[in-house]
Amino acid sequence: MMRSMPFAAAAGMLCALLAALTAAAGTVNIVAKATTGAPAGDVVVVFDPLDATPPPSHPTAVVDQVNKTYVPHVSVVRTGTTISFPNSDRIHHQVYSFSAAKQFQLDLYAGSTNSHVLFDKPGLVVLGCNIHDRMLAFVVVVDTPYFTKTAATGSARLELPPGHYSLRSWHPDLTAAAPVQRITVGDGALDLPVVLDLSGSPDNLATWH
Amino acid sequence: MRLRTRIAVTFLALVSATLAAALGAVSIANRDNAEREVQRQLDVGARVFIRAMESNRRQLSQAAQAAAADYAVRQAVSQGDTDTLASVLENSRDRIGAAMAILTSLDGRVVADSGSDSLIGTDFQFPQLLRPGKATDSDAGVVVEHGHIYQLVAAAVRSPLPAAWIVMGFELDGRSTQELAQLTGLGITLSIESPAGWSDVVTTAGTAGRDAADLATRRLDLTGKAGNRVTATLSRSLAEARAPFERLTRVLFLIAFASLVVAAFAIFALARNITRPLRALAGAVDRIRSGTYDVAIPVQRHDELGLLAEGLQVMQSAVQSRDSAIRRLAYEDTLTGIMNRAAFTAALDASLTKVSRPIGVAVLNLHRFRRVNEHLGFGVGDAVLTRIAARLQADQDAGVTIARLAGDEFAAYTTLEDGAQLQPWGAALLARLSDPVVVDAQPIDISMTLGLCIAPADAATADELLRCAELSLERARRDKQPLLAYSPALQPTARDQLSLLGELQRAIDADELRLFFQPKIELATGRVAGAEVLLRWQHPVRGLLGPGQFLPFAEQTGFIRKITRWTIGQAAAQCAAWYRSGRPLQLAVNVSADDLADLQFDRRVARELLRQHLPANLLTLEITESGFIEDPEQALQLLTALAAIGVSLSIDDFGTGYSSLSHLARMPVHELKIDRSFVLGLERDPEYAAIVRAAIDMGHSLGMKVVAEGIETEAAEGALRALGCDIVQGYRYAKPMPLADLEAWLEGRARVPVLALPAATSPGDFADTAVFEAS
Repeated sequence: MMRSMPFAAAAGMLCALLAALTAAAGTVNIVAKATTGAPAGDVVVVFDPLDATPPPSHPTAVVDQVNKTYVPHVSVVRTGTTISFPNSDRIHHQVYSFSAAKQFQLDLYAGSTNSHVLFDKPGLVVLGCNIHDRMLAFVVVVDTPYFTKTAATGSARLELPPGHYSLRSWHPDLTAAAPVQRITVGDGALDLPVVLDLSGSPDNLATWH
Repeated sequence: MRLRTRIAVTFLALVSATLAAALGAVSIANRDNAEREVQRQLDVGARVFIRAMESNRRQLSQAAQAAAADYAVRQAVSQGDTDTLASVLENSRDRIGAAMAILTSLDGRVVADSGSDSLIGTDFQFPQLLRPGKATDSDAGVVVEHGHIYQLVAAAVRSPLPAAWIVMGFELDGRSTQELAQLTGLGITLSIESPAGWSDVVTTAGTAGRDAADLATRRLDLTGKAGNRVTATLSRSLAEARAPFERLTRVLFLIAFASLVVAAFAIFALARNITRPLRALAGAVDRIRSGTYDVAIPVQRHDELGLLAEGLQVMQSAVQSRDSAIRRLAYEDTLTGIMNRAAFTAALDASLTKVSRPIGVAVLNLHRFRRVNEHLGFGVGDAVLTRIAARLQADQDAGVTIARLAGDEFAAYTTLEDGAQLQPWGAALLARLSDPVVVDAQPIDISMTLGLCIAPADAATADELLRCAELSLERARRDKQPLLAYSPALQPTARDQLSLLGELQRAIDADELRLFFQPKIELATGRVAGAEVLLRWQHPVRGLLGPGQFLPFAEQTGFIRKITRWTIGQAAAQCAAWYRSGRPLQLAVNVSADDLADLQFDRRVARELLRQHLPANLLTLEITESGFIEDPEQALQLLTALAAIGVSLSIDDFGTGYSSLSHLARMPVHELKIDRSFVLGLERDPEYAAIVRAAIDMGHSLGMKVVAEGIETEAAEGALRALGCDIVQGYRYAKPMPLADLEAWLEGRARVPVLALPAATSPGDFADTAVFEAS
């Protein structure tokens, strides 16, 4: 869905105001754009806390297979997340990864039973299907719980405890790794613009840090 | 050129030209066909070659992609299991019979090789083929390595993102090129470009060693994305391509030559078939032309030539019969059946060359034959001529050749012992012919005059002899002699007359004729009674000619009519002049026998009188007695008409003709002129005096004046005076003189008064008649 920028800005300011009134947390409003000026969706934005590391957790995530496509195309999860790979198609699929962060394969299957994989190391995992070469998905595994992914409009919002963070951003079409930024989050809202050169393609994938 | 040759040459030329044109066209078409065929083969060959290369590429691509998509390969790539990879590559290579299969990392380092391990770890030579991010996963190209040409295909190994490249390739070596050569049916040469220039790497058999000019080529650029330029040259031998067409052309040439030979024989035979009978016919025509009429026409055919031959046969007999008819007409007198003039001339000429003895020639003329025709009819006339011819025919048996020359003129010649026999022979001939001829039991008196001459004394040719004899005859008739032999004295006059022929016409036009006047004297009183007009010819070369020198000739040629008209015109004008001056004088003009045959003569005289307003009785016309002997009836009519006009008429030379006195009595004549021969003999011969007396008495009794001419002496004048002659004329009184002299002579002389009748005033009476202008 498309929203106009003034409306988004107004909504952001309203949220920041609410956050300031209710809790001791900062709000980061991310607006991602390609260098061409177009809104950039599926941009992974990760905040590594520089002050304290939160305790580990074991969340779950889902990467579905619909119409020979992985949904979502790009996922970002915390290390220790178990991702289930249901198969919503009526055909069989196989899932594999030769990525260093996680090598696995799920033999040909249908339905959603027992297709769970634990992602226990940080890194970029590229998923493929052995019998459908065009099926491709990316899972970014990070050691922090503070991360988000922009919607198709290029915007995302994240509540962060105040403190210092190192910020990384990534997209499959990045031509080169985006520089790491340091930001400080206070009690208030923070507008964070992200501009990326997205003229590349996954075939010459920019390395994940 | 003969017809046969012409026919043959024409048709052979036509056939040759046609064949040459056809062969030329076929040769050109063959050459074009061969070249087109070669171009077509090159087109097809190029397509086949490209298709084969594409097929190879696809095969390589399929094999490489199959290998790249293999899960085990993906696994081996991710695990760096190079041994497994090498075995997989070897398997894939051998499956399609490729020359090589290698696997490289994404940055182009050789990781595994189907063959030796020597390349492992080195950079792949043609990184241009490895293009990450391209839509298709495989790429192809033709490259050169160490002098070998390879067709390479690269395919990406995905896991699932590109992780490595599999490169597979065929070598374009002698064997594969040979296969392509067989497939395309062309010679193939693969060449590469190096800094040193182009060099051939592979050349198939059938191309090597060929003359470049003989080869048609098509060059294909095979160069891919990497390395040196590579071309494939497809070639086809033009000589080979042309060979079948040239064989065809040779066969056609043979056929053409054979047709030409056959056509030549046929044409010659046909031409001979036409010309041989034509020559035979031409020969026959030639013989017919030379007068042979029994020619057998040697052509027996059923075509147009046969018709021509039949026509010739018919024509031959027609020509023959016409020829004999013409001969008959040409050399035979149709009435009498004896020779005509032409045949006689030819026979005489022939005799002149054959006979050495003298030949006597006679020409004879019947007197008054015209009267026989008129009074007794042409049938009797023809009978008379036939009888005469028959009498001559009797002589023919005695060695005399005879002919009828013209109407009443015959000719004969015979061989004589000597010249002295001429006269007796002529006399004998005359004697035999002079018997009366009996036609229908009616005896007809005939008399004739004979002219003689003798060859070779008088002339050498038939024509001249006949002319001599005719001259003799002419003179004999004039001299009233029955027979006269030719003497050269006759000739010059004749020559003069002949030469005058052309000049006479000119004489009138050039006004060369002159009027001379000889006065007539009334014997009793000595007064001038008139004058006779006499002609002189003031000839530019010969001088003044007397009438005897040209008038006889004018009479013979009929020219006399024109002269008479002119004379009457002149005399009338002069007469009218005197009349107008009040001193009228009668003028007498001589009229010839020929003038009297002019039926318009009276009208012409009348018109002239009218023109000059001249009283008719001032003009006297003197008519010779002989002038009306020939046709007395017509002469009588004319004289009556002239008398009616009022013209005075006088009979000239009275006593010399044979005119019948009864005719004389009926004629409206006013005057008789006694012939001078009587006057000349008057003094010495009493018989002549008797005749003159009789003539004078007769004239007087018929109411005529009597004139005597030729008086030279006083004695003659006395005799005439005694005989009662009215008027005299002669040298004793005056010679003929020109007008001026006459005027002088007349001066002071008394004239017999003339009672001039009123002149005719209305020309309308004679308006339909031409006057004395030339008609």
